[in-house]
Amino acid sequence: MFTQIRKTVKFSVILAAITGSFLLTGCGSKSGGGDAGPEKMVIQNSGSDTMVNLAQAWAEKYVGVNEAVSIEVSGGGSGTGIAALINGTVDIANCSRQLKPEERERAKQNTGLEPKEYIVGYDALAVYVHQDNPLNEITIEQLANIYGEKGTLEKWSDLGLSHGACSSDEIIRVSRQSNSGTYHYFRETLLGNTSDFKLGSRDLHGSKDVVELIERTPCAIGYSGMGYKTDHVKFVKVAKNAGDDAFGPSLETALSGDYPIARPLYMYTLGEPTGDIKVYLDWVMSEAGQNIVKASGYVPAVMPEASAE
Amino acid sequence: MSNTTQAMYTETPFVRTKRRYQGLAKYIFMSMTLLMILPLILIVGYLFVKAAPVLSLDFIFTNPIRGMRDGGIWAALLGTIYLVVISLVTSAPIGVLAAVYLNEYAKDNWFTRIINLAVVNLAGVPSIVHALFGLGAFVLFAGMGRSIIAASLTLGIMTLPVIIASTKEALGAVPIAFREACWNVGATRWQTIRSIVLPNSISGILTGIILQVSRAAGETAPIMFTGAVFFKAIPEGDLLAYGIFDQCMALSMHLFTISTQVPNVPTALPYGTAVVLLGTVLLVNAVAIVLRVYLRSRKKW
Repeated sequence: MFTQIRKTVKFSVILAAITGSFLLTGCGSKSGGGDAGPEKMVIQNSGSDTMVNLAQAWAEKYVGVNEAVSIEVSGGGSGTGIAALINGTVDIANCSRQLKPEERERAKQNTGLEPKEYIVGYDALAVYVHQDNPLNEITIEQLANIYGEKGTLEKWSDLGLSHGACSSDEIIRVSRQSNSGTYHYFRETLLGNTSDFKLGSRDLHGSKDVVELIERTPCAIGYSGMGYKTDHVKFVKVAKNAGDDAFGPSLETALSGDYPIARPLYMYTLGEPTGDIKVYLDWVMSEAGQNIVKASGYVPAVMPEASAE
Repeated sequence: MSNTTQAMYTETPFVRTKRRYQGLAKYIFMSMTLLMILPLILIVGYLFVKAAPVLSLDFIFTNPIRGMRDGGIWAALLGTIYLVVISLVTSAPIGVLAAVYLNEYAKDNWFTRIINLAVVNLAGVPSIVHALFGLGAFVLFAGMGRSIIAASLTLGIMTLPVIIASTKEALGAVPIAFREACWNVGATRWQTIRSIVLPNSISGILTGIILQVSRAAGETAPIMFTGAVFFKAIPEGDLLAYGIFDQCMALSMHLFTISTQVPNVPTALPYGTAVVLLGTVLLVNAVAIVLRVYLRSRKKW
């Protein structure tokens, strides 16, 4: 009886040793940073959910450019990417906002490397209304008054419009679900960090859904990427303040900074990128890479300005 | 006397009522059974109808293209296969051997009872907690990074307690008389286990392990934290396309991302992904059933 137990103990010790050595070899061969052997290079790329489709499009096309490099794209939000950058567990972090100074500081302390910033494109949010809507221009303040919880604008007549196609005169607010990066950016631009949107908006789960609903709803107003425009909706020009010139969303106004609800999209690396990562980022900033930005519904970054940092 | 005997064999109102209630009870129970299989039929039927436009062999063997709005699911399917196989290869031996110890060797004392309690509790831990554990233990502490091996080990730990429980059950179903007969002719415990207990319980053990495939394949939370990615391009048709320290795509995660994150996905695509996920799991379960029938036919009692 006792010998049996001893045998079993011996057996489990062996088993534990096997498992242990398995784990140890695991530690040994992962040298960090995501290189998996000499023949096949892997680049880890994670962060912003807004950019995840763009990053995916790049990764998909890059197979045709360099077959030996495989890009691993994951989302999770800008914060996830920044945290991974600070821990040094990602090669390229996607961010739809700029790195804060304290985050930059922590990355430097943790890894000894200065994060390097690339502006890889711009995201311009268009304000959409139905094609029959007489509204042509709007200010950020008016938008805040329509969407914000303290806002007082409820009817199209409050904006001084007679909107014939909309018999109820009610402004139907179309918005996005609260985990959307677009939603967060729009809310922050309008209301800052302190205030929330009014209840009762139609919160949809996709950029395209927003535009489709506005197509069918004369009373509606909504926001979405400018790439989603159809013939049955129109862009509203947006002004920073009352009295300022209003600008429609376009490549030019987003780049010049005139259009008030456009933001840069960033990629960060730890230190000066080298080797395959540098080649990949150069390709992202090249004409081929920037054409994908355009095709994905974002505004390309103009090359010379962006790479100068 | 004769009066009562007669009453027992003629149909009285009381007997009629009784029979009516009996019939009623039967139909209530039967309708519940039908109600139970109805969702299954609806789910499978609905999935197949919705997925019909994309289902083909090409769908399985090609990679997603055009921003995952078109093409197939090869990279995700292969990732799921990697995760399931590696997780079961690690958890099945540990689980089965632990269960053999607990059932055959361990005495019923406080220590064994604590272990049994721990196993039961571990089985009840939500998968998202396993995910956090995997992130802390494998990804960060063991330094594996976000990788297939880290995700597989996390899944392995998640499936371990259920494998232990089902194996113990299978071992417990072997009559104690078999063991006693064996011991009485001078066999050691190990000899008894090897030549009597394991051969007689192997079908139950295998079924328990294989049923864990569906759990490992379907879970999204544990792998999302530890090694599944939104997208990774791999060569089509290459079974060794992933390295063990790479991250991978997975069917469950892919289903989640194309339904919620990617705009303008044709509706058939997520349904097609779901059908392949379901089909993979059902295929493995079917293998389990066939194996079980075959092994049971060789059972000696």
